Amino acid sequence: MSASATADALLNTRGESRALDAFVVAAAFERGGRFCAFALGDGTLSLVDGLGQSEWRSVAAHEGAVLALAPDARAGAFVSGGDDGALRRTSSAGEVSEIARFGSRWVEQVACHAGAKGSGLIAASVGKAIHLFDEALVDKAGTQLKRFEHKSTVSGIAFDAKGKRIAASHYNGVSLWFVAAKDASPRELEWKGSHIGVALHPEGDAVVSAMQENALHGWRLSDGQHMRMSGYPAKAESLSFSRRGKWLASSGADAIILWPFFGGGPMGKAPLELAGGDGVLCTRVACHPGHDAVAGGFADGLVVLADIDSGRVLPVAAPGRGAVSALAWNADGTRLAFGTESGFAAIVDFARK
Amino acid sequence: MAEPAVPRSAAVPVTVLTGYLGAGKTTLLNRILTERHGRRYAVVINEFGELGVDNDLVVESDEEVFEMNNGCICCTVRGDLIRIVGGLMKRRDKFDGIIIETTGLANPAPVAQTFFVDEGVRQKTRLDAIVTVVDAKHLPERLEDSHEAADQIAFADVIVLNKTDLVSPEELEAVEERIRAINRFARIHRTERAALPIADVLDQSAFDLERVLAETPDFLTDDAHEHNDDVTSVSFELAQPIDPERFNAWISVLLAEKGQDLLRTKGILHYAGEDRRFAFQAVHMIADGAFIGPWKEGETRTSRLVFIGRNLNRPQLRRGFESCQAA
Repeated sequence: MSASATADALLNTRGESRALDAFVVAAAFERGGRFCAFALGDGTLSLVDGLGQSEWRSVAAHEGAVLALAPDARAGAFVSGGDDGALRRTSSAGEVSEIARFGSRWVEQVACHAGAKGSGLIAASVGKAIHLFDEALVDKAGTQLKRFEHKSTVSGIAFDAKGKRIAASHYNGVSLWFVAAKDASPRELEWKGSHIGVALHPEGDAVVSAMQENALHGWRLSDGQHMRMSGYPAKAESLSFSRRGKWLASSGADAIILWPFFGGGPMGKAPLELAGGDGVLCTRVACHPGHDAVAGGFADGLVVLADIDSGRVLPVAAPGRGAVSALAWNADGTRLAFGTESGFAAIVDFARK
Repeated sequence: MAEPAVPRSAAVPVTVLTGYLGAGKTTLLNRILTERHGRRYAVVINEFGELGVDNDLVVESDEEVFEMNNGCICCTVRGDLIRIVGGLMKRRDKFDGIIIETTGLANPAPVAQTFFVDEGVRQKTRLDAIVTVVDAKHLPERLEDSHEAADQIAFADVIVLNKTDLVSPEELEAVEERIRAINRFARIHRTERAALPIADVLDQSAFDLERVLAETPDFLTDDAHEHNDDVTSVSFELAQPIDPERFNAWISVLLAEKGQDLLRTKGILHYAGEDRRFAFQAVHMIADGAFIGPWKEGETRTSRLVFIGRNLNRPQLRRGFESCQAA
């Protein structure tokens, strides 16, 4: 058996894949845990019923490219933003409805938070603004809850675990907004330079941004302490905290880079490097929702699953299908979806058989 | 750094259109877009002028210029372009090239530097040419008013000298001379209502240094230049091979010290013992260099270096360049 056939063993025995013929921008599982969606550069979503029906359905969600995708706050649906200026919801049955339209402006970032009793929030960034919608009201027209303005274009958004705060990265720092606050003024976390993405610690300890200058910058929220994490050869476009926030995984180097967020934090420490050694850039990371394990996708198409404590690496898919551009777990961590710039998409089942 | 993910030929050509408001930028843009050339362009615009832009794929953007935290005080890039290029690459099959129209008052340096500094942009695109549209009648006033008018000319690979019908032949000669004094290396096309074959504007491979330097006229007959605030250009040739280490040492110090005045630097170098030509270019302090194809059989291996900028001290630059000769 060749090396790549071995590396493909999981994909071959427990996976399902397609060549979708368009850049895979993002992948997501809806909150019901059954359907997966791949958002594509041709404006479609490819919907996959995960219960072994093997039906991959193409749904025209946008006129241009899909730029962002998130599981909707309610089960059974996805929310997407496109370069057609539309923010739309697509149900797992393939019905597309419009949440809002923003003219010729791109909808570049989307995030949703599922609250208690079916409540929830949908956030989308368009230029310098974040538009916030109440999940319960979006089926009615003109139900925008709030609009948060920034001095420069928003490059990343993230809800905290409770949906109380939303973080927005932009030029010169990150703004942290209280979603329910009456007076709309954020806590400004400042650091000079261009911040291109943001992640919030799952326990609310810290905010971390990726920077144009191939570094991460973090702020400890209790005291505003700065954290600098540098040494990347490329931009860390993908950030993911491990389930309880012990580690922050990132792309941007020729290994999965993990910074410790315990025992005083990452300052002055060397990060853990997993699945490295091939000289190929890691392009996407996704921490497992239930274990201290992380999936990583690389520029040559390799996808791996690494156990953080032992450092053991399990190949999921062999190189050769295009740079990995999308990587996502379902909520219980039984399935991993990934896609590449050249249109390969797959779902691999990790459930006990 | 990793090798480019795509071969250079697959990189998307990008044309940057600059020029003062009213010079005829949008007219030229619409000519490019409506002419039947069978190509599709993604157009990035930063202000909706009085004229609409007639194209399927138009991206509206705010020019967001920011400083890089890399120790270069003049290293500014366009953050919006980094995002837009990334977004457009998700539908790469829908267009053949990108045209970026800047605002009238824009300094072209951040746009040009974006193509040097951002690795993602560098890998996926190639800056084909900076095209500057100037108004033959009003250019002299603009040059008095502001630095930007001269900067836009200094950065240009192609200059569309527009509205020639509004000036006398003598005025036209005079204005062309002003342009030449700033940038002797750009190609100038005289137009009325921005009418010219689009082949004169697109697919210029102007950042293909070989072509620029090969086409540069009267390389050896430089004028002596005054030291003042005007933008001028100077060029040098060396028959002796260059010592790469000496060149690097000299040019890094030069760019670090004088980078703010040096708008563009470009050259083809003959490194000692090397059969390939080394292409060097810089925008302010941001430099880039790579080996390009081999010297042709029988070709004289001459190193050439061009500076466009302010306060160019010609004798000092010449001495510096000469000190890079291999022993």
